[in-house]
Amino acid sequence: MAEGPLGDLPGFRPELGGNRFDPNNAIFVLDPIRDKEIPVNVRLKPTRGQFIVGGLAASAAVKFASINVIAAPKTLVVGLNVPQTGPYSDQGQDQLRAYRLAIAEINAKGGVMGMQIEESVGDDQTKAPVAVENARRMIERDGAVMITGGSSTGTAIAVSGLCQEKKTIFMATLTHGDETTDLNCHYHTFRRYNNAHMSAQALAKTLLAKYGTGRWFHITADYAWGHSVFDNLTSVVEPKGAKTIANVLMPLGTTDFSSALSQAQAAKPDVLVITEFGKDMVNALNQSAQFGLTKSAKILVPLADEYMAKGAGDNFDNVVTTAPFYYKYQSDKYPEAKRFVDAFVKKYNSPPSNGAECAYVDMYQWKGGIERAGSLDPKAFIEKMEGFHFTATKGPEYWRAWDHQGINTVMVLEGVPVAGRDDPFAFAKVLEVHDGDAVAIQQSTSKCKIEDS
Amino acid sequence: MQGPAPLRGRPPFALPEDSTIDAILSQLPGQLLDGFVRGLVYVAIALGLTIVFGMLRLVNFAHGAFYAIGAYVGLVVAERYGLAAGLIVAPLAVALFAVVFDRVLLRFFYDKEPTAQILVTFGVALVVQESLRLYFGGTTRSFPIPAALSVPVNLGFTQYPAYRLAFAVGIVAIVLLVWLFIQYTSYGLIVRAGIRDRTMVQLLGGNVALASTIVFALGAGLAGLVGAAASPIYSVDPDTGFSFLVPSFVVVVIGGLGSFWGAVIGGLIVGELQSLTTLVLPAASDVVIYVAMALVLLVRPSGLLGESEVIRG
Repeated sequence: MAEGPLGDLPGFRPELGGNRFDPNNAIFVLDPIRDKEIPVNVRLKPTRGQFIVGGLAASAAVKFASINVIAAPKTLVVGLNVPQTGPYSDQGQDQLRAYRLAIAEINAKGGVMGMQIEESVGDDQTKAPVAVENARRMIERDGAVMITGGSSTGTAIAVSGLCQEKKTIFMATLTHGDETTDLNCHYHTFRRYNNAHMSAQALAKTLLAKYGTGRWFHITADYAWGHSVFDNLTSVVEPKGAKTIANVLMPLGTTDFSSALSQAQAAKPDVLVITEFGKDMVNALNQSAQFGLTKSAKILVPLADEYMAKGAGDNFDNVVTTAPFYYKYQSDKYPEAKRFVDAFVKKYNSPPSNGAECAYVDMYQWKGGIERAGSLDPKAFIEKMEGFHFTATKGPEYWRAWDHQGINTVMVLEGVPVAGRDDPFAFAKVLEVHDGDAVAIQQSTSKCKIEDS
Repeated sequence: MQGPAPLRGRPPFALPEDSTIDAILSQLPGQLLDGFVRGLVYVAIALGLTIVFGMLRLVNFAHGAFYAIGAYVGLVVAERYGLAAGLIVAPLAVALFAVVFDRVLLRFFYDKEPTAQILVTFGVALVVQESLRLYFGGTTRSFPIPAALSVPVNLGFTQYPAYRLAFAVGIVAIVLLVWLFIQYTSYGLIVRAGIRDRTMVQLLGGNVALASTIVFALGAGLAGLVGAAASPIYSVDPDTGFSFLVPSFVVVVIGGLGSFWGAVIGGLIVGELQSLTTLVLPAASDVVIYVAMALVLLVRPSGLLGESEVIRG
């Protein structure tokens, strides 16, 4: 019998579902000896002795409990912490759609260990302090047993720190800066999305073949993610002879890139690297076209998704980028990807972006981990996650034990013009698919020193 | 080669490899032009804000919402009937919205304390923002630049996008038109007098209420026009209004609350500051305008061209 999170109940049969503390939710099975239906998986009225012993045990458990859950939940609260406003809101909203699809599916099939998932949603506005306050509220007020979300490495690192302090699982979704599973890795945090190091390594061949080693001008988002991408890209192309002529760091949420772009234009670079994300990237790329830079230089956007490519329209033509998932590609190859994409399109009338795919899989990965652990105890969950191999929407992948980075494929994509797209989101053709292990940071060079608990 | 090391992480300066004074100077004309054009956007938005404050003594936090409504109306109309139609319909629609807003809600707050005005206009701004999100969704939208204006123009010292140049010329023309309206029409006279002494104008039989509504609609229409005209440059989303509202307040504070030319000068200063800061310390290009505002407030609390009696209200 599985050891439940709430203590043992003699005769508890998890396969029957039900909630063992809720008489209204009792499940009846036929008792062959007494030849009548009896309720199972629920404690009915305890005897006086059971009551006293149970009460004492419960007080002791409360006094010495180290886990979050001491009351009997009928539902499990998960915190969905994504930007619904601000520069990365397109990505945040799409992740939210995917979380809700996964939750609806899981609940319809009986929930997690018989408990229905309930959401607590926060808009992190792509601001680290807001993200942390949301997560704190979700954990302390709403009793969330898991926080998930992202869209920015800045918010992910901040929330990861809080979740470590609160000993709460954090499934970081769309965060691409190395730090989330490198310098700032934490025991309670898992990140499946590929990171900047993986993107840069995956891009190496294409960059040298298509972009050459000329003069590179960078426009970079000025926070952890942008810096991480810049460091990784330059360390790949500079040793081969590429010359970095400038790195203009723009504040997150910049709408007008004209002053950076007039500098770029005056510098006459061979390559213009736009390390911006979300709306910032759409503005930067569209404005680059207005400055004539999409014609005079080759454009590289190290990370993009379906919404950004849609917003940039024809300006995304020929632009090389990376992504961990592209609905057109994986749904042709993997039945689970096709099932997910079809369900998503059916529910929302638009295909999932790569961040949404990660959100969806993360929710199922958390459910799987909890069920394998048979417990809500984070430590038991983490032990079951570390080194866990699985196949979901993109072929075999696994969670690396020593830094909690998901190791899965990274794609190099090239944008196609709007006229060549089946739908406005079908933005690219796949140039290369890289095995995660081949491009990931290795333990010998990683700065991750994960905690023991 | 200079080597990659100094550029790593968070470089204090981000300049081309030959980053001598000469190199910076060679970039200067282009950056000054960019700052000027960028400043004109702020001028156009701040102008509406400042004349409304001057005339109505109203701190209008819904001004950004006017910009956003203009952007969306412009977008929807332009997608169907072309950009020119969008530029005509957007300011009219926003002005109409402003008149209704003024008559139905705002007039009850004319004589209330500023905090009540801020709360009501801020509330309307939030309602507008969320309504736009409800109707259009949160997704970023943009309108492509007309083909004829989509290429950069070679000005000798720099190449600059044709659309932005046309945009700049349009704003200069509008600023002049608004100035002519205020300076030379009889309504303008009431407006100017109202800015000086509202009660006296009423005692002399001037229809301040009507003039107030006209000024409010004019300021809103301006914001709507800029919103529609800017949608091919900046992408549009429901949060757009607030992202322009804040710098516009900075512009008005620097220039002087209620001052026409203060808004113009303040806008150009803010635009140039942002552009030039991007040349030497781009990471500070957002912060610099608040530093400038703090300095102006310390040295000249009423703003560069603000008159203290206007502030006293």
